[in-house]
Amino acid sequence: MNTYGLREVRVKKFKRLPEYEYDVKRLRSREVRPKRSKRVDSAEQKKRKVASEDKYEVKKLKRKNSEDQCKVVDGVIEIFDDEYGDYSDKYEVKGIRRTDSEGVYKSVDGVVKIFEDDDEGDYGDDIEDEGDCNDDGGFEEDDEDWCLNDTDKSDDDSREKCYTVLIEDDIRQQQQEDITQVTNTLSISRVSATILLRHYNWDVEKAHEAWFTTEEKVRKDVGLLEEQVVRIHNMENIIKCSVCFDDFDCDDMSAANCGHLFCESCWTQYISMKINDGPECLMLRCPNPSCPVAVGQDMVNKFVSDEDKEKYSNYLYRSYVEDKRKMSKWCPGPGCEFAIEFVAGSSSYDVVCGCGHRFCWNCVEDAHRPVDCDTVRKWVLKNTAESENVTWILANSKSCPKCKRPIQKNEGCMHMVCQCKFHFCWLCLGDWNNHGEETGGYYACNIYEKVRSGGVYDEEEKIKNKAKDYLDKYAFYYERFEENQKSRLKAIESLKKIQSEGLVKLSDKYGLPETELGYITDAWQQIIECRRVLKWTYAYGYYLPPSEHVKKQFFECLQGEAESALERLHQCAEKDLRKYLEEDGALYYDTFPIKLVDLTVLKSKLVNLTGTTRNYFESLVRALENGLSDVGTQ
Amino acid sequence: MQASRARLFKEYKEVQREKVADPDIQLVCDDTNIFKWTALIKGPSETPYEGGVFQLAFAVPEQYPLQPPQVRFLTKIFHPNVHFKTGEICLDILKTAWSPAWTLQSVCRAIIALMAHPEADSPLNCDSGNLLRSGDLRGYQSMARMYTKLAAMPKKG
Repeated sequence: MNTYGLREVRVKKFKRLPEYEYDVKRLRSREVRPKRSKRVDSAEQKKRKVASEDKYEVKKLKRKNSEDQCKVVDGVIEIFDDEYGDYSDKYEVKGIRRTDSEGVYKSVDGVVKIFEDDDEGDYGDDIEDEGDCNDDGGFEEDDEDWCLNDTDKSDDDSREKCYTVLIEDDIRQQQQEDITQVTNTLSISRVSATILLRHYNWDVEKAHEAWFTTEEKVRKDVGLLEEQVVRIHNMENIIKCSVCFDDFDCDDMSAANCGHLFCESCWTQYISMKINDGPECLMLRCPNPSCPVAVGQDMVNKFVSDEDKEKYSNYLYRSYVEDKRKMSKWCPGPGCEFAIEFVAGSSSYDVVCGCGHRFCWNCVEDAHRPVDCDTVRKWVLKNTAESENVTWILANSKSCPKCKRPIQKNEGCMHMVCQCKFHFCWLCLGDWNNHGEETGGYYACNIYEKVRSGGVYDEEEKIKNKAKDYLDKYAFYYERFEENQKSRLKAIESLKKIQSEGLVKLSDKYGLPETELGYITDAWQQIIECRRVLKWTYAYGYYLPPSEHVKKQFFECLQGEAESALERLHQCAEKDLRKYLEEDGALYYDTFPIKLVDLTVLKSKLVNLTGTTRNYFESLVRALENGLSDVGTQ
Repeated sequence: MQASRARLFKEYKEVQREKVADPDIQLVCDDTNIFKWTALIKGPSETPYEGGVFQLAFAVPEQYPLQPPQVRFLTKIFHPNVHFKTGEICLDILKTAWSPAWTLQSVCRAIIALMAHPEADSPLNCDSGNLLRSGDLRGYQSMARMYTKLAAMPKKG
């Protein structure tokens, strides 16, 4: 799989309204199978695959909901208007493999789906069948490639993609499907099925199994009654509500399946309070203290305000992802509403959400491959820890020998004058009056040197030096870690700017369609990804034991090579490109061929550097992931 | 606010009626504030608390009965689930397992039941909990008995 570069598709509308540009993100593929296997050669299969399972989100789409015919020609999607038969929009999809086909385009709430115009019936079934008969569980894998800005053509470092990005609609749909399944299999109401599933953390298998083995017990644990209890009314039909202690007519009261009657106002208050207490409301029970019967969504909807209903249903929805902690998690990206479903036992924890956020599925930190989660945790903790401050003070300040005030030396010679007017030598902390030519003058102190060379270390000095070494080391790695992070963020900005302005400008200036400028985006995506990897290698380096000399050397060599390649690439993508952008277009307007030649130079340089950098980083990542085992432990 | 007041007023009336019915519990409402109650409960028989009279203080929240009242012992008591200094009580129905159908009266009954059946695994009074957990029933009983005699029984003479 593509290792470096965001999994994102850009679609540009370039006909008619050139000023419009749409960002299209691939949202998900419906199913990702963990097994990886060979490519499927049949173009027909691939076509149908693409058609049936891909969804795009088109931002700023004017028509929110529509269904039209579409035609794909040379990677450009033309969308026809039903009524007039006249095409109204054209989209270009980069990296599309299916170059020519016709289909139906459908957009719902800004999400575009393209279906094959093919009446062989149910796509889902087709996919399943093909998957089975080819013994090929993994062609979604391949399918993934086509929609990427595929910077990674080499497959050697590819990894299985073992997760699925879920959007809200999918989650809700899956949840409803699970409920339906349980409802049908166990012949219980939807509300009961929901309560049951919630109890078993939305594990359908587990719920079924428990139900079929010990239905009695499960019913008791979960609070589901076999039958609704019918209350036999007494003569007067007047009952005291045991919450507010007021008397009510039976008909004005309500009960869950257990038949414990409470007045409607008390029900409303009770349920609404529980909902506002948090997600625990999903475990709502009958208010009667000795009654274990569960109160489901039907009762909630009957009594509470729309706002509370919404809250409840939201808790229910969120619990579907949160309860399945081992299988699904919310994307931690800011403001992101997607969830990630993960297939256990995968080799890599790195996950890219539909929002573009890359994170580690295991520890939910930003993606940190090739460094492991433990190292990252230690590093992150260290970066925030107060202990670093203490170490800093210890290492960078000395106390005045007379008044003990802590002093930081920021410049100048060793002759110190404290606020208490005491003159002393910074090195040996002795009185300055005892210093002069014979002790080394203003810039050195023989007393200090003599003591040091004689190995007579002051205990305090020893601690201080140790602390300083330690701090120096940390500062070294931390600084580089931070620099790469900053540089990465800046690169993301640059890429955005290039995508929004630069490419158009270049394409205007050099008369090339933007499709041919993909290598520029590729280069920038490579830079962003490499900065990320490089950043984490500094955390790795910090924790590499100093005793492992050979490994350290090997690591530093690999890191150095990768870093210098990246610097060259970054330089080219930043500085060289700027030259092309800045140059006065008019100057070359009459000499069209020269311009092309110039861009060719840029292209070959960029493509070359992108490739080299990727190779260096791949070997760096591989080496770190196998614990630098290519060189032996000393 | 009005709902809780109305409900407490009804409970007050019930209490007047039930006084005879349950001689172990005597619930008294504060003269000026219906949200403050005190109760005198008798230590259950066949326990080290037998013969003692323990005073409880109730602070009822405005959301009552949707939220539980806060209850603590005013009388010193040696019991695994009661804080020795503050009198705070660790009882599930006063926290998560609260139901709006509970009353102050039934809370008192639950506390009497707790006195008879201490839960040594979730102790607020660790010394007492440890005695029970290590199987030193005699040690626990004599300590509890001593404090009952000291704090919960009328002084002789």
